[in-house]
Amino acid sequence: MHVLRQTQDENQPQDAAAITGARNLGRAIVITSGKGGVGKTTTAANLGTALAQRGARVALVDADVGLRNLDIVLGLESRVKHHLLDVLDETVTLDDALVSDKHSDTLFLLAAAQTREKDEVDTDKMRALVQQLRERFDYVLIDCPAGIEMGFKNAIAGAEEAIVVCTPEVSAVRDVDRVVGLLGNRFKPQLVINRLRPQLVKKGKMLSVDDVNAILRLPLLGVIADEPEIIVTTNKGEPIALRKDGQTANAYHAIAARIAGEDVAAPTVELKKESFLDKLGAFFGGRRS
Amino acid sequence: MSARKIVITSGKGGVGKTTTTANLGAALAKRGKRVILVDADIGLRNLDLVLGLEKRIVFDLVEVAEGRCQLRQALIKDKRFENLSVLPAAQTRDKDAVTEAQFAAIVDQAAEIADYVLIDCPAGIEGGFRNAIAGANEGIIVTTPEVSAIRDADRVVGKLAEKNVPMRLVVNRLRPEMVRSGDMLSVDDVCEILAIELVGIVPDDEEVIDTTNRGEPIVLDETARLSAIYDKIARRLEGEVVAFTNFENQSFFGRLFGALKAG
Amino acid sequence: MTLLRGRGLGLEVMFADRDFDVALTELEARLTERPDFYRGTPATAAFGSALPTLDQLLALRTVLSSAGVELAAVSGGPDLEAVAHEAGLTYSAPTVAHEELARRRALKPKRELKLSDAARSLVADFAGARADIAERRKRGEASVRRHAASPAPAPVPAPVPAPVAVVAAAPAPERPPETLYHVGTLRGGQALHHAGNIVVVGDVNPGTELVATGDIVVFGRLRGVAHAGAQGDASARVYALDLDATQLRIATSIAADEGKRKGAARPEVAFVRDGRIALVPFENSEQLEASVDPKRGGKQH
Repeated sequence: MHVLRQTQDENQPQDAAAITGARNLGRAIVITSGKGGVGKTTTAANLGTALAQRGARVALVDADVGLRNLDIVLGLESRVKHHLLDVLDETVTLDDALVSDKHSDTLFLLAAAQTREKDEVDTDKMRALVQQLRERFDYVLIDCPAGIEMGFKNAIAGAEEAIVVCTPEVSAVRDVDRVVGLLGNRFKPQLVINRLRPQLVKKGKMLSVDDVNAILRLPLLGVIADEPEIIVTTNKGEPIALRKDGQTANAYHAIAARIAGEDVAAPTVELKKESFLDKLGAFFGGRRS
Repeated sequence: MSARKIVITSGKGGVGKTTTTANLGAALAKRGKRVILVDADIGLRNLDLVLGLEKRIVFDLVEVAEGRCQLRQALIKDKRFENLSVLPAAQTRDKDAVTEAQFAAIVDQAAEIADYVLIDCPAGIEGGFRNAIAGANEGIIVTTPEVSAIRDADRVVGKLAEKNVPMRLVVNRLRPEMVRSGDMLSVDDVCEILAIELVGIVPDDEEVIDTTNRGEPIVLDETARLSAIYDKIARRLEGEVVAFTNFENQSFFGRLFGALKAG
Repeated sequence: MTLLRGRGLGLEVMFADRDFDVALTELEARLTERPDFYRGTPATAAFGSALPTLDQLLALRTVLSSAGVELAAVSGGPDLEAVAHEAGLTYSAPTVAHEELARRRALKPKRELKLSDAARSLVADFAGARADIAERRKRGEASVRRHAASPAPAPVPAPVPAPVAVVAAAPAPERPPETLYHVGTLRGGQALHHAGNIVVVGDVNPGTELVATGDIVVFGRLRGVAHAGAQGDASARVYALDLDATQLRIATSIAADEGKRKGAARPEVAFVRDGRIALVPFENSEQLEASVDPKRGGKQH
């Protein structure tokens, strides 16, 4: 049984803005995992795209200074003129640095610097920057680097919520568990399980969603199956969420809807009917020779 | 003569550093070499998991660094591979628990009692990475044939080159059918971008997930395709010239669409 | 009602309907348990219908700033404005939302809790342990006194308070606190080290470490590493509803179960017999009392 939402205090009115008496601040969500290679950047790009497709104003921030990748995944690497550190150092304004997405006109990217280091980021300035972005955007999604060092600490500065991404592998679950422990209750973390292969789960060769959440115990935001298509779209710089349908695109749209507060049916991943090629691949590809 | 101290790194996370360290270490041990594997990922340790040694951890790297135990007490002997030992990382500490100098000293200590010390590097290029390379005099860069991984690997190659550390390349999780359709870079493309000596090409194999989860490195199975491949990497490291075998004989797609190399 | 709440831009400290001094002490204890956790966060203090004195406001500000938290504003009734002004603080009138919240809380029946003597003593222990940890942190010492036999302590995560108003803020006891009581799941990388017994209500995930000089009780799944009798007390025990630890240690004995567990989980207790760690189902543990001589505890094996 998947828990979709947890509310801390039933008396808490839904609209945070009414309490603070402030303007409608956007939501700042960090996308993190601890383990590398589970799909944080892909998730950030696709979720941002899906939210923008629903009309929201979205800012994507690549906090992986020195190992930037969010721009590639969005196909924007040639358009990046300035980056996060330029803005933090105040050599350019935020407007100058924000790159408009090719496909969605309410989606913007603040790229990381490639030739700098993570410890050059001042945590307080990062927090202030995220605040600034929240004043102008409905969603600020922060792509967090792998690990739990300074890069991670800076990426969560200024965020109010967290999405943790995990693959159904033991090492990933352990790392994600560590990160969830470090995040604490403050970020209300929710879980996206990525790269699930239902056939393998059925054969008992991969952890199931329940296996993963038996340890993580987080509200489940979505489950994304492993598809070669995703690598293709990543390499091409065209997030799969741009598509109108298809299992993965739909999964991201459903996640976006849940984030936006809609009551969407619990996430499932369907076992695709094995095609002739699937069976062949299983026979030859997985065979020991 | 002191051991070869090789750091296994990548920049990008999730490309297979830990899997490579474990399997390459085991392959070298099978060839009779004394191998010590060091997990440098303090706080996010996985090497012990991948080898199924988690339950045997009594002392860890940080405790050795803090002088609370000897290196020999902390080393876990693998029961399946003679000559293979693991120095686990600490889980409840952070990367700043050990300095570069302390890490390098531990690696040197290990080098006195082994032929190979393989250092499993954490993802990224921060403190954990700096510690891991501090101990090494050689590097193995692991990358997948994807643009983001290669970009990150390139950054790491730059950092190691600054320190004049000789490097070799392992291209991991190759999917020949995707190379064919142009959706994945070819090994030649990768080598051209990174410009370092190629020492291994490892195809994607879904068995790896399961064996990792069970803590049984794939080289335990002599008949596994990947077993032979890691053995070849071990041989190349030893200086043997070993050809990269054709994929042709091993895959249906290989036969249909022409030769693709692996090994 | 919780004392500290994350709200919008920062923290909200709730003083409404509480005794100021008691709440301030609790706040101080919480902040010193996690010295850097809140650093850099701004805070507002909500007083509701209560009216603090100038001294109280200044004391509050001091407590917050020593944890790196800036007291940005105070909210409450109109009389508060003058006091806030005197203290150099921003005053904000409770918003409609605040009033609505207060109204809803007034409607909720106040929880009446009858605590048994045993439970009362547990709460006092808890307050004592926290006060003790806070004291030591202030002095710059580790949270748990280092003992030669046990490993160095790691940072103790903030225990989640039980949903009970503090019954009695007991003064810090002279002797070390008996039991550390933690409600909530412990996650990989977290460690609880305690001179005394440890009770966890929740799961202990793999990658977690529990070290106690006394017994360890987990009302949930124990999957990390548990070390009871850490100073050499071999009569110490480990209890869990689902004992699936990566590794068990009692005094100087260590054990791990390499095989896969058969059958469903049931409550078990681990203890030392003849120098080795053994497990029995909890229902059978009366046999345990008969066969193990408690006086054997403390012998090194």
